[in-house]
Amino acid sequence: MNSFMLYSILNTAFVLLVSPLFISLIKKTKAYTQGRRGPSLFQTYYLIVKLMKKEVIYSSNSSIIMRITPYLNITFMLAASLFVPLLFIPASSPGIGNIFLFLYLLVAAKFFMALAGLDAGSTFGGMGSSREMTLSAVIEPVVIIVFATLAFVFRTMNMHEMFTQSLGTSILVNPPVLLISLSLFIILIVETSRIPVDNPETHLELTMVHEAMILELSGSNLALMELSHAIKQTLLMGLLINILMPWGLAREPGLVNIGVAAAMFIMKGVILAIIVGLFESSVAKMRLFRLPALFMQAFFLAFVTILFELLNRL
Amino acid sequence: MKEFITDIVKYLKLSDASVREGLNHELYVNLAGYEFRNTMELLSKEFSLIAVFCVQNFNGHDGFTLFYAFEQKGRYEVVVFQRPLSSFQATSVADLFPSASWYEREINDGFGIEFTDAFDKRRLFLHEVYPPDFHPLLKAFRNHPIETRKDIMPEQEYRFNEFAGEGVYQIPVGPVHAGIIEPGHFRFSVIGETIFNLEIRMFYKHRGVEKLAEGKTPLECVPVAESISGDETAANATAFCVAVEKISGIDVPPRAWQLRTVFLELERIYSHLGDMAGMITDVAYPVGASNFYILREEILRQNSAITGSRFLKNIVAIGGLKHDVAIGALVGLLKYLKTFPASLKDALDLAYRSPWVIDRLETTGIIEKRLIDPLHITGPAARASGVDTDTRIDHPYGIYSHLPLQKHVLEKGDVMCRFAVKAAEIMDSVQIINDLLIEGIKQGEVFASTRVRDGYALGVVESPRGQTMHWVYIKNGLIDRYKVRTASYCNWRAIEHAIQGNIVPDFPLINKSLNLSYAGTDL
Repeated sequence: MNSFMLYSILNTAFVLLVSPLFISLIKKTKAYTQGRRGPSLFQTYYLIVKLMKKEVIYSSNSSIIMRITPYLNITFMLAASLFVPLLFIPASSPGIGNIFLFLYLLVAAKFFMALAGLDAGSTFGGMGSSREMTLSAVIEPVVIIVFATLAFVFRTMNMHEMFTQSLGTSILVNPPVLLISLSLFIILIVETSRIPVDNPETHLELTMVHEAMILELSGSNLALMELSHAIKQTLLMGLLINILMPWGLAREPGLVNIGVAAAMFIMKGVILAIIVGLFESSVAKMRLFRLPALFMQAFFLAFVTILFELLNRL
Repeated sequence: MKEFITDIVKYLKLSDASVREGLNHELYVNLAGYEFRNTMELLSKEFSLIAVFCVQNFNGHDGFTLFYAFEQKGRYEVVVFQRPLSSFQATSVADLFPSASWYEREINDGFGIEFTDAFDKRRLFLHEVYPPDFHPLLKAFRNHPIETRKDIMPEQEYRFNEFAGEGVYQIPVGPVHAGIIEPGHFRFSVIGETIFNLEIRMFYKHRGVEKLAEGKTPLECVPVAESISGDETAANATAFCVAVEKISGIDVPPRAWQLRTVFLELERIYSHLGDMAGMITDVAYPVGASNFYILREEILRQNSAITGSRFLKNIVAIGGLKHDVAIGALVGLLKYLKTFPASLKDALDLAYRSPWVIDRLETTGIIEKRLIDPLHITGPAARASGVDTDTRIDHPYGIYSHLPLQKHVLEKGDVMCRFAVKAAEIMDSVQIINDLLIEGIKQGEVFASTRVRDGYALGVVESPRGQTMHWVYIKNGLIDRYKVRTASYCNWRAIEHAIQGNIVPDFPLINKSLNLSYAGTDL
């Protein structure tokens, strides 16, 4: 149990620490592709600190939902963060690591965010929530299939065991993992509201999805939502990294092990964040109703992975 | 001109005495004593309405005179019909010319003239806060701050068109927006994400430009014209100066006109570049947009080097230019323009090579050709919808009649076509400036004189957004009436139609493809 406590504390602290960095890094990458210098790498940390200090204002129409959503969101995200070990893989403990529980922790956070969008009764919040739910209805089955494929390939539903396995083997001997990684990348883009699904930088309220839902939030509430969003991104990145390139992830806790794992994860995260930034820069936003076509690519890749895996086992 | 007069007299069965020539290729037709409706119905078959405006105490007529300005395809001259009124009531022509609706509501606000049978009698530029008997354009009203209404009853509020039905709801957007943009209110009626009606309300920052000009000398009024819309400075200043120069019989030196043409085309280039960058930004492809932003900035720097102002302010003057342009700056511009077409082509290639961008631009926000004339939609928006209209060719001013201009007309009328038309026009403008600079700007004076005479005349200019009309009436050396109608004023209604059947998240893109000036509307 002690070792699990240690894991929880270290993993949560590490996730909180690095998440804002990746957000800034993507912004910086995008700025470079546009010939700008972009914000400092610490900008997202400053932003969260600044928002924390600011006054919270509630719309007079809003209910308890608006007040609890930020806390629920960060709670769900921190709980989900236990499922994705970034430093070392803990000894298995019941319930922690189930891939479908992980998915529904993320979905629960999204559900409350959509409710909060509706809560204040503003036009844009409602519009954002409606769009988010429409997209979710399409992306959720796809995510289930992708996660089921992972479970099928690794023959376990526990994410910790999946990572242990991927640590032991090379992707060269397990090529279906490459395919499913593409699906995971698409899910990363969709779930973190990036171009071509949503535009995190836009000021155009009529085109927003994610941003529209949190328009009514302010001060520390907004800071928590921004932080939750950053954590969600790190978790999905961590999932992809641990499946595709787990090198450096420690099997046992230890000072050197953890130091190496942290350095390796930051390095791999930086690379992935730059790839996300470059990907975002190379595409434009899709028409809202054409998005299912993008989601279907993830679905298709997952499907092909299952086929390959079946052929493998014959 | 003579032939046109004969044709009009014959077509409308007028007496020769009622038609007279204006000072700047316009005809004035006095409709006193004629059946007004009949004439308008005849006109609606062959002519398109440019603007309607009202003048109080015009040329000795004690009371109001309504002016209806028309153009006819293939005719250089603009025909202005004058209708003297004997009371505060007039006949509406909005059923024949839909574009007249805004003008009539505007005249109702400004002068208190009621258009008895109009289908829309709501106020236009005077919002609810102004008292009902406030009509700022009346001569009796002296320009001063007024007491506005503090408590507005629900029945006094502006009534938007209402729609009801299952799944129908309305989205109010603005006048305060999330970005740093000008104020305007957009009332969308939607089913799901699909928009079936849009109503636009403007005039949140009406500045009273027309009243402000009254009582000023024409010289003092040039900065007022320049401030109408920040990115159409040269076009508005030129239109105003052309009108005053024609009234006063000033011959602007050729060098001044050549340089004015350079400014007007530079303005078109940087405006179009801004529009194109905006379109690409709004489909969330900032990498593609940044090339256009960079080019726009480079042109603004050229503007600054030539005139001392990035937005070409304080250079166009009555009688020519405020000051001459240094030869070094022109050489610098010529050198820069040599590399410009290749850079623009690179920027265009990057945008056109992205299927993601093309998919967003094509079939989005179609403006149908049949709407262009009734709504008097003008400029690149009209040309992208298959109508070959361009004030530089249709009603040439300055040296434009000597320039080898062509109209870029595309048929589909979607955002893609507007993007392509603007791209083509930038290349044309570069060519025009290049030719002028290489052939050599004539040496000599850039300024004739500012001796101003009394009279009235029309100045019509093609601004980057389309046809801009200024009508100036000088009495006793002072501006007595100044009417401005910018292209933005006409084209706002194009958006209301272009948006129908599109989805809400495509609105910003469609809006940007026209990129209208709020300031240019909220005069």
